[in-house]
Amino acid sequence: MTRYLPPAAFGVFLLLAWEAAVRGAGVPAYIMPGPVAVLAALVNNAPDLLAGLAVTLEVTFAALALAVATGVLIAVALAASPVAERTFFPYAVFLQVTPIVTVAPFIIIWVSNIFAVLLILAWMAAVFPIISNTLLGLKSVDRNLKDLFRLYGASRAQTLWKLSLPSCLPYFLGGLRISGGLALIGTVVAEMVAGTSGTRSGLAGRLLEASYRLELATAFACFALLSASGLGIYALLQWLSRRLLRHWHESARDEQS
Amino acid sequence: MTLSAVSLRGVAKTFSSGTEALAPTDLDIADGSFVAIVGPSGCGKSTLLRMIAGLAEATAGEVQRGDGAVGFVFQSPTLMPWATARENCALPLALTGSGSDAGDALARVGLAGFEGAYPHELSGGMQMRVSIARAMVTRPRLLLMDEPFAALDELTRFKLNDDLLTLWKQNRWTVVFVTHSIREAVFLAERVVVLSPRPGRIVADIAVALPDRAPGARLSHAFTDQCARVSAALEGAA
Ligand SMILES: Nc1ncnc2c1ncn2[C@@H]1O[C@H](COP(=O)(O)OP(=O)(O)OP(=O)(O)O)[C@@H](O)[C@H]1O
Ligand SMILES: [Mg+2]
Repeated sequence: MTRYLPPAAFGVFLLLAWEAAVRGAGVPAYIMPGPVAVLAALVNNAPDLLAGLAVTLEVTFAALALAVATGVLIAVALAASPVAERTFFPYAVFLQVTPIVTVAPFIIIWVSNIFAVLLILAWMAAVFPIISNTLLGLKSVDRNLKDLFRLYGASRAQTLWKLSLPSCLPYFLGGLRISGGLALIGTVVAEMVAGTSGTRSGLAGRLLEASYRLELATAFACFALLSASGLGIYALLQWLSRRLLRHWHESARDEQS
Repeated sequence: MTLSAVSLRGVAKTFSSGTEALAPTDLDIADGSFVAIVGPSGCGKSTLLRMIAGLAEATAGEVQRGDGAVGFVFQSPTLMPWATARENCALPLALTGSGSDAGDALARVGLAGFEGAYPHELSGGMQMRVSIARAMVTRPRLLLMDEPFAALDELTRFKLNDDLLTLWKQNRWTVVFVTHSIREAVFLAERVVVLSPRPGRIVADIAVALPDRAPGARLSHAFTDQCARVSAALEGAA
């Protein structure tokens, strides 16, 4: 418990200082709302904002799931042959270094379904860490264990399922934790670029709308929800990773156990 | 003449890097015998063992192996960290679909009660014993061991040496045992093959005649004499 006390206390201090500064200086709410006003906006617009959050998270998790499925498949394919890796990995890097805002206009022209547009862009943002980490893991399998599998005449499928995939799990999970955050960032950026609006729009779209209308308290509420979602996704993936690795990997072991 | 479990005819290995690891070698290992291979570091002992197991290709000559399963014990425990002792030990069964009970094999190396433990919950010596149990689980005719006890303290090493001899006497498998330790080789094996520095050549093939290998035998004069012979052969080659 005492672990969480200092950061929580600091957070409360920041909020109090913010509120005091806004009130003391008499800044109008359309320039800079205080935390109380933001909280009020959050509560008053709760149904609307939560609907937006649901849309954003739906895209985020769909993109993450797609990134996991395709990323692992691509990594397995690339690990299977050095020629394949040399041929295709540069294109995965290309995917990574290209800012998705620059690709968005094309995708929007080519794909009419807005959900699909957001999904593609968020997937582009999220897939690379999965590919590169899983590939590294697949290539780091213990040589002696590989020999052991050969000695007992294991098939390629057996070696993949019982040796390669389990031993790359820590690497994969490391990539997943990065991708989780990137999927959310990708979704938010895509929503802003695609300019979604109306009832089916995500939280980022609503943030933009609110700021255009100078409803800064509502915009801040959107921002707070998005940040909290990012933290939540990270915590979720961290928990998942510790759970899956707790029996065997150094990174998930309790220090004193 | 007994049947050969392993027969090498002119077997040599040169790596693609150009390193000549093993010079052409002839070696016959009788079925049911316990042979130790000693030699300086880098002389090709591991390479030789891997070629016997079929894990490495000989660049010249012919490797022949008798029928039956092969067990291999690596220098490090080489366990899957995500699997329990029992699952690790049962791996050969899962892959080949035949063999004895993993729990039974663990009990034979004194690890009854640790079936559910993960490798990190076991000491180095216990991990090594899991590895030995795994090699035994398919009831191999031929057991290949690459410096299996090198990383252990002397006391644990003696204990595992005694256990290994007991198991060998019970099962009468063929054992090829690579080691750096002259004393270990002489204590365990009926025959000690001495290799020269790289590229490895057989410079001596010494039959060890020790009346009994009770734990106390390590202090007898006969034992020290045999060690001196092996030692002289090693130094003569250097
Ligand atoms: N995969 C490889 N590629 C190139 N050279 C290798 C390879 N494996 C081993 N060698 C070389 O072959 C020689 C013999 O290696 P090996 O591992 O058989 O030695 P060793 O006798 O087992 O040594 P140690 O007692 O230190 O384990 C060494 O000089 C080593 O550098
Ligand atoms: Mg070696």
